[in-house]
Amino acid sequence: MEFVRNFPFISIILSLFSGPLSSILDRKKAKWWNMIVIGLIGAMSLAVLMYVLGTGEAYVYTMGHFTAPWGNEIRVGVLEAFMAFFFCVVMFLCMLGGIREREAEIEESKQNLYYVMINLLLSSLIALIYTNDLFTAYVFVEINTISACGLIMIKQNGRTIVAATRYMIMSLLGSGMLLLGICFLYGITGQLLMSNIQEQVHRIASEGSYHIPLLVSMGLMSIGLAIKSALYPFHGWLPDAYGYSTVSSAAILSSLVSKGYIFLLVKIFYRVIGFDIVMDSKVINVLFVFGIAGMIMGSIDAIRENNIRRMIAFSSIAQIGYIYMGFGLGTTEGVVASIYHIVSHAATKSLLFVSAAGITDVSGDSTDFFDLTGAGYRNKLAGVAFTAGSLSMIGFPIFSGFISKLLFAQAAVGHTFKMLPTLIALAISTILNTIYFMKTVIRIYTPMRKSRDREKKNTVVRMTDQPLKSAALICFILMNVILGLRSETIVLMIQNGLKMFG
Amino acid sequence: MDFSNLLNNYAEAISMVLFGIGFSNLLLQKNLIKKIIGLNIMDTAMYLFLALKGYIAGHKAPIVVNGVQSTEAYINPIPSGLVLTGIVVSVSVSALMLSLTIRLYYRYHTLDLDEITMQLEKEGL
Amino acid sequence: MSGLMILSILLPAAAGIFLLLSLVFHRQQSQAFAGAVLAVSAVLVLATAWLGGGEKSVTLFYLMEDIPIYFRVDEVGKLFATIVTVVWVAAGFYSFLYMKHEGMEQRYFGFYLLVYGILIALDFSGNMVTLYLFYELMTLCTVPLVLHNGSREAIMAALKYLFYSMCGAYMGLFGIFFLYRYCDTLTFAAGGTLNPELVNGNQGLVLAVVFVMLLGFGVKAGMLPFHAWLPTAHPVAPSPASAVLSGIIVKGGVLALIRTVYYLVGPDFLRGTWVQTAWMTIALMTVFLGSLLAYKEPVFKKRLAYSTVSQISYILFGLAVMSPEGVTGALLHTVFHAFIKSALFLTAGVFLFQCGKTRVEELKGIGKQMPVTLWCYTIVSLGLIGIPPFSGFISKWHLAQGALEANVGVFRWLGPAVLLISALLTAGYLLPVTMKGFLPGKDSTAAAEKLEPSRMMLIPLIILAALTVLLGLFPGPLVTYAGKIAASIM
Repeated sequence: MEFVRNFPFISIILSLFSGPLSSILDRKKAKWWNMIVIGLIGAMSLAVLMYVLGTGEAYVYTMGHFTAPWGNEIRVGVLEAFMAFFFCVVMFLCMLGGIREREAEIEESKQNLYYVMINLLLSSLIALIYTNDLFTAYVFVEINTISACGLIMIKQNGRTIVAATRYMIMSLLGSGMLLLGICFLYGITGQLLMSNIQEQVHRIASEGSYHIPLLVSMGLMSIGLAIKSALYPFHGWLPDAYGYSTVSSAAILSSLVSKGYIFLLVKIFYRVIGFDIVMDSKVINVLFVFGIAGMIMGSIDAIRENNIRRMIAFSSIAQIGYIYMGFGLGTTEGVVASIYHIVSHAATKSLLFVSAAGITDVSGDSTDFFDLTGAGYRNKLAGVAFTAGSLSMIGFPIFSGFISKLLFAQAAVGHTFKMLPTLIALAISTILNTIYFMKTVIRIYTPMRKSRDREKKNTVVRMTDQPLKSAALICFILMNVILGLRSETIVLMIQNGLKMFG
Repeated sequence: MDFSNLLNNYAEAISMVLFGIGFSNLLLQKNLIKKIIGLNIMDTAMYLFLALKGYIAGHKAPIVVNGVQSTEAYINPIPSGLVLTGIVVSVSVSALMLSLTIRLYYRYHTLDLDEITMQLEKEGL
Repeated sequence: MSGLMILSILLPAAAGIFLLLSLVFHRQQSQAFAGAVLAVSAVLVLATAWLGGGEKSVTLFYLMEDIPIYFRVDEVGKLFATIVTVVWVAAGFYSFLYMKHEGMEQRYFGFYLLVYGILIALDFSGNMVTLYLFYELMTLCTVPLVLHNGSREAIMAALKYLFYSMCGAYMGLFGIFFLYRYCDTLTFAAGGTLNPELVNGNQGLVLAVVFVMLLGFGVKAGMLPFHAWLPTAHPVAPSPASAVLSGIIVKGGVLALIRTVYYLVGPDFLRGTWVQTAWMTIALMTVFLGSLLAYKEPVFKKRLAYSTVSQISYILFGLAVMSPEGVTGALLHTVFHAFIKSALFLTAGVFLFQCGKTRVEELKGIGKQMPVTLWCYTIVSLGLIGIPPFSGFISKWHLAQGALEANVGVFRWLGPAVLLISALLTAGYLLPVTMKGFLPGKDSTAAAEKLEPSRMMLIPLIILAALTVLLGLFPGPLVTYAGKIAASIM
């Protein structure tokens, strides 16, 4: 057995144990150690990705001495390795981009705790991606929730604590439903490993027994994860949680945490239940309808919002809607489009959050829409980055968002009944997106009136003043452009990965 | 309607009822402590359900005593293991919720989430 | 040949980016560089378009599995690329001197070259997605040209332009999604690629979608109801930039419409439907309203911008009647309008540059000061109005013929009538400048000193004016060429 095969396990353990280590290191060291860990894990994931691409098939890694069906397993395919690598990259850049805000906003004594949370979060995300055991997945979902809650409330004021509480409550409802779904499935099949459950589910489905419990279980798991990833009617907690937490938290939460849950849902669809059975059920249609509602309602809320951070958060709801809409199409193309959108949205949304911080930073730390007038001139790079992110969100060609829209449209046209609603929703949502993003871009590039200029405490930031943040922003922009121009490789990888899932 | 299945599986039915109670409490109660109680009821209901899945009437807990190693003697140990794991998770989550509640109470002297939100609006934060 | 094509796109774009990024150039150096690149790429583009026969196509890379970035030189592309090149070179050489008083020349020339590359790519696009890609890039990269002087007014105008254009483009994109399903391929083919089997039973839907696309791409062409950005954005740009914006960039919308209607959907599908009627109605309304607004507009450059709104819809009307004559007229008018409107804006630039005059009433007696400029202005104005022997007459004649011979009901006589009224209005808003310029009347205080601009600015103007005359006198080859295109896509 090649040594590379151990890397997924080592990544999880490394991240998990560097948590306690971060808590005893001093602040500066903890910061760098944290960066190094994320970098290391990214590198390991890349190695795994190369390895899996080389062998061309997924492999199973047994944890401990018990073999299936009793033991715990890790299963690594192209998609898993790619996601782990991508998540590490995005997390690294988010941490890099938010350093200054973090150090200003978080009490000094609490900063180590932040790195502990980040380590926990990363390990749980990677475990969610790799694990082949449904109950392990549940446990890591909870760890993920707890650490995400920590990330929200680390900046301590009334807003964030209330946001964290709301987030916790909704998350717990979601994980309760997820657990119940898992219990049902366990009750029906008597298995916990994903591949074994799938065998049993296929047997049950072909016999035609336990139809309703299976459906209920599927519904519970889907809705549970949908609540946790803020699908439209369950999104109430999201704007506050993303809007008021510190930048890197918001960026990580929106681009990674919710995506981790969605990825788990993909795994459940493909690996636990089996795609054809899911497609035959009505659960898909529910997700489709909620997704479309989210696409439109999220954008409408965003238009009405005057706080730029909350606006970006509402836009997340719309984008999550896109992803569920893709699932709801019920075709492999739809799922490919959704997964691509997970990637593209993660790259774009974190760019937006980080650049929005740069913009508010030079506007007297105000997030109010009207205070941002002319901010694009005061912090040029952040302005450009925000514009690039907006263009990507809107679906401007050469940026990643355009490709995901094309993929969604491509997936939709293969479908007879869902084509029209999908395309119309895509069009409406694109126009709505254009309205609020361009409105903001226009605002940050509107020159200040001289008379009002004096009253405000506006500052000017050059690119070289914050080298780390600038580097992160540039990397994010490049990532968006690369995703927009060289999407073929990634789409191919996703397709391969999904094949390996089966 | 045939209720015999319901009667045969009365324990599962009860656990579902408990789950419903817990869930609606967590969702609908305004008071944070009551929400946490709801959360715990919900979790416990789930453990009951899980434990039932592993229970085989007449068999003992899976702890080897007197050298009896036959699988006939013991219940399925995996659900018990899951329940234990679940309890750990639920304890930590409850602890986190309680700590959040304490903080909020210190700040706003109330446990009502809506009232806290109203006070926040007043603060204009 | 494909290498040549890529080079003709890449060279100006790369040179433009190079100019934007490099900081060390002197004024003269950057001008010399831009001029050299412009000349070389113009030669390259013309060579790509006209030299050598056979199929010239190249697939750059695959954006997605079955959607390549694909370029192909076809008849329409050749025509557009040639227009772009002529105007671009003329306005470019005009800018060398003109941009002295606007400043920030390096940035200007950087974007100027970049947009040139993008436009060539747009003209040679071989499928709808490639076209859309460069269409959006064109919008984005022309924004800096609009906001060049950095005043609040210019920036707001540029943002308005950006917003309108993007919303329009998205309406187009929405249509592309649909056509992706109902067309065999998104690669352009004369006469359309709509698959009748798939469309069968969904005609209503496809028609609605095509209408949305028409409206969407019509934004760029200044078609009602989304024309409001044009009179705001075009006048605030530096004059040579206004010239190319009004002369060329709006033609991007025209090209997108030609591609959509004649190369994807196919005119046979649209002929006689409500979409055609609606399109003709909107086009005629725009023709009339644009002229009317221009007539009432006192600021010279704004007047010219409104005139663009009206004139582009001449072209759109020609496309909408969907008869060979009409399309011929539309293509001819595309060529003539590009030259004429650029020349008009360049004249406006001369007035602005030499004596800072922006309003029409200030131009009294200007003919005494700069007779050559005003003569050029008069010639191209007569061309735009459509008085023989100048070029505009030829295109309008064909447009009217097209409407008369097409089977379009009431539009057979309504179209030519509106075109005629609008021509009168055109005369009404363009010729007073000439009349007051040469014959200021007795109370004029204007000094008779010579203010003629230097040759750098005069020569492009004279060339464009000469083209107007020449193409009017010897339209034969061009008409044949346009007729050939029209016949091939019918």
